[in-house]
Order: sequence, then C-alpha cells, then structure tokens
Amino acid sequence: MNPKRCAACKYLRRRCPKDCIFSPYFPPGDPDKFACIHRIYGAGNVSKMLQQLPVQTRAEAVESLSFEAKCRVEDPVYGCVGIISLLQTEIQKTQTLLARTQAEIAVAQAKHSQNPS
Amino acid sequence: MRGPGSSPCASCKLLRRRCAKECIFAPYFPPDDPHKFAIVHKVFGASNVSKMLQELPVHQRADAVNSLVFEANARVRDPVYGCVGAISYLQNQVTQLQMQLAVAQTEILCIQMQHEPALQSHHEVFELDQDDKAHLLHSNNNSINNCNNNYNLAYAMSSGQLNSNFASPSSIIQMQMQDPLKQESLWT
Repeated sequence: MNPKRCAACKYLRRRCPKDCIFSPYFPPGDPDKFACIHRIYGAGNVSKMLQQLPVQTRAEAVESLSFEAKCRVEDPVYGCVGIISLLQTEIQKTQTLLARTQAEIAVAQAKHSQNPS
Repeated sequence: MRGPGSSPCASCKLLRRRCAKECIFAPYFPPDDPHKFAIVHKVFGASNVSKMLQELPVHQRADAVNSLVFEANARVRDPVYGCVGAISYLQNQVTQLQMQLAVAQTEILCIQMQHEPALQSHHEVFELDQDDKAHLLHSNNNSINNCNNNYNLAYAMSSGQLNSNFASPSSIIQMQMQDPLKQESLWT
C-alpha cells in the first residue's frame, strides 16, 4: 500500500488518489482526527460537505467538524450544544451582575450629589 | 412504540422503509415534522444517528436528538463553521460583557474609596487604613474572581486566560473541553 496515503484513506483501507478530497486536511500523522469525524458524520457525508464548499474554506470546515465531532464523542447527549448552553448562562449571569453594579454606581453617584463632601 | 395502523415515523418515510414497532427513530421523529429528520440525516446520516441513539440510555435520547437537530441546523445555515460560529459569537459577547463589568467594578471601587464616610478631610482620602483597603480590594477581587471562574467554566478552558477581544472560530477550536453542563434552552 502507498505509504503516503492520507489518514482518511488509511482508515478506509483504500488507495489514496492524487485528487483525494481528504488528503489536504487529514495528514497521515493524525489518524484520530479522521476517525472521530468518521464516527460522527461518516466519510460520505464529510466528502459531500467538502465538495459543496469553495476550496479556500474547506480547511476551516474540517477543523470545525473535527471540533464538533470531538465534543459529541466526549458528550454523546449534548455535544457542543452543551458549550453553547454554558455560554448563554454565563452571558445572563454577567449581564445581571453588570446591571447590579451599574445600579450601585447610580445610587452612589446620587448619594454624592445629595451630600457633596 | 407505534400503535396498529399508525403512520410511519418521519425517518422511515424518508428512508422508504417499513416502520417497525420498535423503530429507534419513531419516538423522536414524528411524521408531522419531516424536516427534522431530513436535516439530521443530511448532516449525520441515518445509520450514524441510529448508532448514537443505541449507545444512549432511553431517557437521554430525546435530548440527544434535539442537540443533533440543533447542530445539523447550524451546519446547514453555516456550512463552514456550523455551531463553532455560534460559540465564537457567544464567546465574544462574554468577553465584551466581562470588560464592561470590570470597568463598572473599578468605577464602584473608586466611588467607594472616594466617599468613605470615615474620611472627612482631603488628606484622609489618601490614608485609608490597611483594614479598609483590604476590605475594599478583597470584596472587589472576589467579584472579579467569581466572574472569571464562571467565565473559565463556561469556556471550558483549562488555562484560565481570557481570549482576545474577538475570538475567531479557529481559536475556539483550540479550546480544550471539560464537562459541559446540561442544556436548559436553545435558540429556536
């Protein structure tokens, strides 16, 4: 077998053609990346997704798919949606704290204007 | 489980197969919402979804399906970044709010230090005793530390450092993951 097969073709146990759609994004030195993406999305779906994208955006697409696949493997119920939920909660908490602090500032400033030192 | 004579679930309708009594998709993909399964099938594939659901206890499958539908919708809306784009946007919001909060907390600290009732003369403004200073700084530091701890948890970053002002989706992907909390509400 060609030792220069990309990680995807190695995983799929097939020949890696010159124009392999996966090879720019799945180097042979990182087999886990493709394995994780394949587990969640499947090679066929990833190939279709990449084919529908302009070449210059495919690297970013692979990285985001890899991230989401990894999240899903680590949290099979919520995947990266769990992170979104956390961030939304954090935003609400920080907004509440900010509003409270701004109210305290307004009260302190009002006190000062009533009782200038 | 389906009753006798009921129509096939949305999955089996799309896959053009008989909807078995114990169809794994039927509880989560009712026939009146064909789009829900169509989009999950487009992004993940029916067999992958089936495998994922089979590996989960029954009481967690509804949440898993909802999160898969959410991710699939995000990926169709943004084929390059999917949910990572949403995470990037929210992370930027958190950063902005953190900065505003830090400014506001600094302002309140300044106001407290300027208008301490114990200080009567101009000179005393600059002569807070150690206990007063420690109290003011400690209470402010606690607020900021609590805020940062929550921020770190939300970001699931082990380094504990704030990101730059406008985190790109690429930098989100560099994040390490810890255990996310249960979701409460999602965008509709």
